Amino acid sequence: MIERIAYLWPEMTLFVGACVVMILGLSPNANVRRQTSIFTGLFLFIAAVLGMSTPSGRGTDWVILPELMPFAKPLIALVGLLLLLVMAQTVDRDEEAALAGGQPFNALRITGAEFYAFFLFSLMGAMLCATAGDLIWLFLALELTSLPTYVMVVLSGRGRRGFGRSQEAGVKYFFLGALGAAIFLYGFALIYGGTGATRFVEIGEHFAVHGMNPIALVGMVLALVGVSFKIAAVPMHFYTADVYQGSASSMAAFLAFVPKTAGMISILLLVSTMGWTTTEGTLPPVIDSLLWALAVLTMTVGNVLAVLQSSVKRMLAYSSIAHSGYMLVGVLAGPGSSFSSNGVAAVLFYLLCYGVMNTGAFAVLASLERDSRGEPVEAEDVDDIRGLCRTNPVLGWSMVLCMLSLLGFPPILGFFGKVPLFTAALGAGRVTLVVILGINSAIAAFYYLRVVAAAMLDAPAETGARDSGVPSRGLAALICAICVVALSVFGESFMRASQTAGSPRAFAERQDAAPPQLPGHDADPPHDAPAGADGTETLSLHD
Amino acid sequence: MLAAGAVGQGGHGVVAQGAGHAVADGIASAASGPLWIAAVPALAMLGVVLTTFCAIFRIKSKLPAWLTVACLGGAFATTVGAYLHLQDAGVPLVVKAFTWFDLSWGKGPGQTLHADFAFYIDSLTCLWMLFVTGLATLIGLYASEYMSHDVGTGYCRFFAAFNLFVFSMTCLVMGENLLVLFLGWEGVGLCSYLLIGYFYKKPSAVAAGKKAFIVNRIGDFGLLMGVFLTFVKFGTLSFPELWPMVQPYIDMVKAGHGADVPFTVGLIPVLLMVGAFGKSAQLPLYVWLPDAMEGPTPVSALIHAATMVTAGVYLIARTYPMFLVSEYALPIVGWVGALTALLSATIGMAQFDIKRIMAYSTVSQLGYMFCGLAVLSSAGAAFHVFTHAFFKATLFLCCGAVMHGFAGQLDLRKLSGVGFMKGWGIVALAMLVGCLNLAGFPFTAGFFSKDMIIAESFVTPGPGYQLIGWILLLTAGLTAYYTFRVFFRVFVGPQCYEPGDEVHAHDEHGHEHGHDHGHDHGHDHGHGPETHGSESRATQSRATQSRATQSGATSSHFHPHAPGWAINLVLGTLAISSLAAAGTYLIGDGHGWAADMVHSSSANYVGAAAFLETAGHAEGEHAAHGSFLGMDPHKVMYYVSSIVGVIGIITAFVLHYMGRTTAATSRADALLPAMGPIAKWAQGKWYVDEFYNAVIVLPLRVLSHVFHTIDRLLVDGLVNLAGVLPRFVGSKVRPWQNGLLHGYAVGMAGGLAVLIGAVVLLSM
Repeated sequence: MIERIAYLWPEMTLFVGACVVMILGLSPNANVRRQTSIFTGLFLFIAAVLGMSTPSGRGTDWVILPELMPFAKPLIALVGLLLLLVMAQTVDRDEEAALAGGQPFNALRITGAEFYAFFLFSLMGAMLCATAGDLIWLFLALELTSLPTYVMVVLSGRGRRGFGRSQEAGVKYFFLGALGAAIFLYGFALIYGGTGATRFVEIGEHFAVHGMNPIALVGMVLALVGVSFKIAAVPMHFYTADVYQGSASSMAAFLAFVPKTAGMISILLLVSTMGWTTTEGTLPPVIDSLLWALAVLTMTVGNVLAVLQSSVKRMLAYSSIAHSGYMLVGVLAGPGSSFSSNGVAAVLFYLLCYGVMNTGAFAVLASLERDSRGEPVEAEDVDDIRGLCRTNPVLGWSMVLCMLSLLGFPPILGFFGKVPLFTAALGAGRVTLVVILGINSAIAAFYYLRVVAAAMLDAPAETGARDSGVPSRGLAALICAICVVALSVFGESFMRASQTAGSPRAFAERQDAAPPQLPGHDADPPHDAPAGADGTETLSLHD
Repeated sequence: MLAAGAVGQGGHGVVAQGAGHAVADGIASAASGPLWIAAVPALAMLGVVLTTFCAIFRIKSKLPAWLTVACLGGAFATTVGAYLHLQDAGVPLVVKAFTWFDLSWGKGPGQTLHADFAFYIDSLTCLWMLFVTGLATLIGLYASEYMSHDVGTGYCRFFAAFNLFVFSMTCLVMGENLLVLFLGWEGVGLCSYLLIGYFYKKPSAVAAGKKAFIVNRIGDFGLLMGVFLTFVKFGTLSFPELWPMVQPYIDMVKAGHGADVPFTVGLIPVLLMVGAFGKSAQLPLYVWLPDAMEGPTPVSALIHAATMVTAGVYLIARTYPMFLVSEYALPIVGWVGALTALLSATIGMAQFDIKRIMAYSTVSQLGYMFCGLAVLSSAGAAFHVFTHAFFKATLFLCCGAVMHGFAGQLDLRKLSGVGFMKGWGIVALAMLVGCLNLAGFPFTAGFFSKDMIIAESFVTPGPGYQLIGWILLLTAGLTAYYTFRVFFRVFVGPQCYEPGDEVHAHDEHGHEHGHDHGHDHGHDHGHGPETHGSESRATQSRATQSRATQSGATSSHFHPHAPGWAINLVLGTLAISSLAAAGTYLIGDGHGWAADMVHSSSANYVGAAAFLETAGHAEGEHAAHGSFLGMDPHKVMYYVSSIVGVIGIITAFVLHYMGRTTAATSRADALLPAMGPIAKWAQGKWYVDEFYNAVIVLPLRVLSHVFHTIDRLLVDGLVNLAGVLPRFVGSKVRPWQNGLLHGYAVGMAGGLAVLIGAVVLLSM
């Protein structure tokens, strides 16, 4: 156990950071409290640097995706830094305004430090997911990711109009999240029951040697569906729009990336215990069909519902569902020997792309506010961004670039993120899935281009939105827009890194010892195949 | 150099760390060439960025021009360095900037598309790079003065597009694979469009821009098909990988089995050639180039005379091995080139707008280059490209100087004796040098390069190549005539002029903004804005109103102003370079420096061409040496073409100089009735535009209306249906998103139940 410390320096940094920020937040001095955001950034930066030097897990007996940590941890920390820029000054704005207005400092009203501490805890949870070597660790890490977000959702809307909405969103998110957690915890328990192991490596070896028994199979289904809550996949997607809309835009940006990354990593870990024992391995047919259905439903439902939205925030919420569906396609495609045929690498690279472009889009929204009955509220409607390229070129063009990137418009980042998903799925022979993915991308063009057109072509609305006066958000939008363009040119090394990160552990020695359990399933597209060898086993057990 | 290096390194640093293991910078070490060569396009791109910033900060000085000249000068210096490096290395260099595309959708051949953003530097590339960057620098300097009336955002826009053009052009010629070449190809097309339509308030300029773009699209379609077919056939687009794959076919042709080359391999060059015809303005796609003269003159000089239009020649030279294995590609190229040369020369003879004459002469000279390629003298073609770049830039810039000084006047009937006016000496001398080159006067660069092509067309035993030689010889005479027609009409003879139709604008302009220009040379009045009439269409009635005035008694409100130092400097340099280009013919072994450059590249003729067989000469040119009236063309052609050229010049002298007392008339007018309708037709450009309008544009318009109706009724209906369907489904699904917690929980649990049920059913 002690040797795992070597992998945990980023998480420990974030933990220390969270404690420091919380303690600073108790200071009676308003100026000290304002420094909490700077400390948050500092610790995140250190965690990013440490994350880059995380050792590879190759050669250990507990890491199932050996190169994942050195990719995922800096990714989480760096996107976390971007998110911090967006989330700065989300809470306590009223108190700051009151202070500026000459009122005395009321220590009890300030919640910024808690907010930042929770922010760090949640990122730490996401990183711990990448470090997870067993089911219990994974469960705790997922919960550590999620629990702070429930509070943050509520805090993000506090002290302004619509607080009621954010409270409602927080409560919904909490209860539904608990339901999701219950489902995957049950799944984890059944996996343990079916295999007698909690460690992924042992579970994987068990599956490789004995195949999947029905209990483990049901456990895996429950686990995958439960974790789908984190990535907002159908049927666990219901909360998404309400929660995103109820929380501040900056918080929605957080929700769209951090829990999703944690969930995606968990799915990769879980799935890599089954079938990915070699680089050419395939999933058990039942799991394959399940993931196939999840992917298709998720992207279709997300896109179809996004078409109807007039609120950009809700639209982005639904589109985040669709993007989870795209990533599931990569999971289905499975690992491969080169970047463009490696679905896992495609998922990881897509997480990076999605983190950048989605954060950029939300940063623009968070930078704008408009008057609603005399009080400033956050911009969220399409009308608020009409003519933005003219009234505020930096924000406007950032929005246009991020939207085009989300759409997957050819020369920019989103395209280079989506292409590997296509090629990996094609390489795995999943033509139907690729066609569905293509149709969904076309549907997505409809609503993304609507926003692009509104920002670029329309005349500015008379009662348009104005800058909300948080310069760091504009900066975040600008950085994201620059990244969207620059990474499309200089992203090669990131692709190479994600290819390294996406190569699973090989169980070669075990396979040599025992014959493979699923004869005849190597080449077929498994979702067409009816029950296989394990199906017969199921029957016998049911009797 | 700095830009590319710094950015590349930076990008890698981050990633190497991100991957958590110290990946050594694989790019620079893996490539056989040094990364600094990538600075050539990178510096041009830097110029784009800097001038864009100038536009953003609303710089109202000549700063963008100086930035451009500095960047492009740096690019030129880098090119020279690359050339020297290449001489040392002795083998083609591949410089990889970064991996651009790396897609695979299967394991089989042709299922992996790998294209690096890489550069392939061999001597052919170097030849093009040298004159592209060198001329761009000079023309940038010229434009700094020429465009000075437009200082402000227009100036920035001009130089941004100018730099973008150089970036694209360098990508085009330096591309390591057809994809980078295609990027550059489309990039130069875009810049050409932007710059032709620079005066976007002028309808004719906008129309010309659109015409250029659309006609080029037709060619680009062919190119794109060629690229696709190359990929399908060979599974790669990279030149260094393609050559070994084409080699077996060349061996096949050498062994006399040219007929066995697969049809698809032979089809690739035919498709590529269509792209070349579009970009290099050959029949039937040449119509855009004369209209492109609507752009500012420096643009005409750089893009539409010296560099971009040679992209087609470059494409064929670059993919020469593929053309050699095709039975019909090169003969088509030759015939198209010869006919284009003749047709546009006849049109050029009858035009009055001097810039337009130069445009037609460009089309005509490009025809020569294509013939050079077709008659297996890729060296001659490249040498002609090289010399043509210099003298045609000189000629255009001289025309531009005249236009700039005479308020947009370009009609040779309204200008005379310009060379004798004060301050116009350098322009006239430079013009003379350019004209001598274009006319192929003995011992000029144009003479040597043209001779190589004409002689080779008599030598090479292709289908009808003797006839091509005769056509080219005839065209050489016509060229000498129309070139010196311009010189004798405009630059010598009695001094008189008539300002162009920008004279009024010029005055207002001078009064209002005379002091804003920041001229570094003193003029009493502002520069004549060339802006709104790059091509003077002064009507006859108008011309009679402001009748020609004798020199010394110029009209009270117009003074032609002689060019300033920048224009004179550039013209002088170019004229000297044009002369010096002849010197390159004398150095090196055989046919001069440029030919050596081609011989050491992939464009070298390897001694086997598929079409030679069909002409019954399997053993190549030397076995069955063609002849010119029984003499050796290589030797006799120097004399023959000298005589032809001098005859052309003398004809022009007699018809347009001797006894001419006014600007508007000359002895040639007396010949017009004798020629009947031919002169009129030539003046009407053989009505090709009208023909295209009637045969292609009009039917397409009618068809488009038909399709529009169908589209509105049928396709829109389907599309709307496709749009309605998600909406409909959405509106049915939406009520589930009712915002109620228990509703959502039921949804989640229900969804889970369905999935579990399905799983159990599947497992049973």
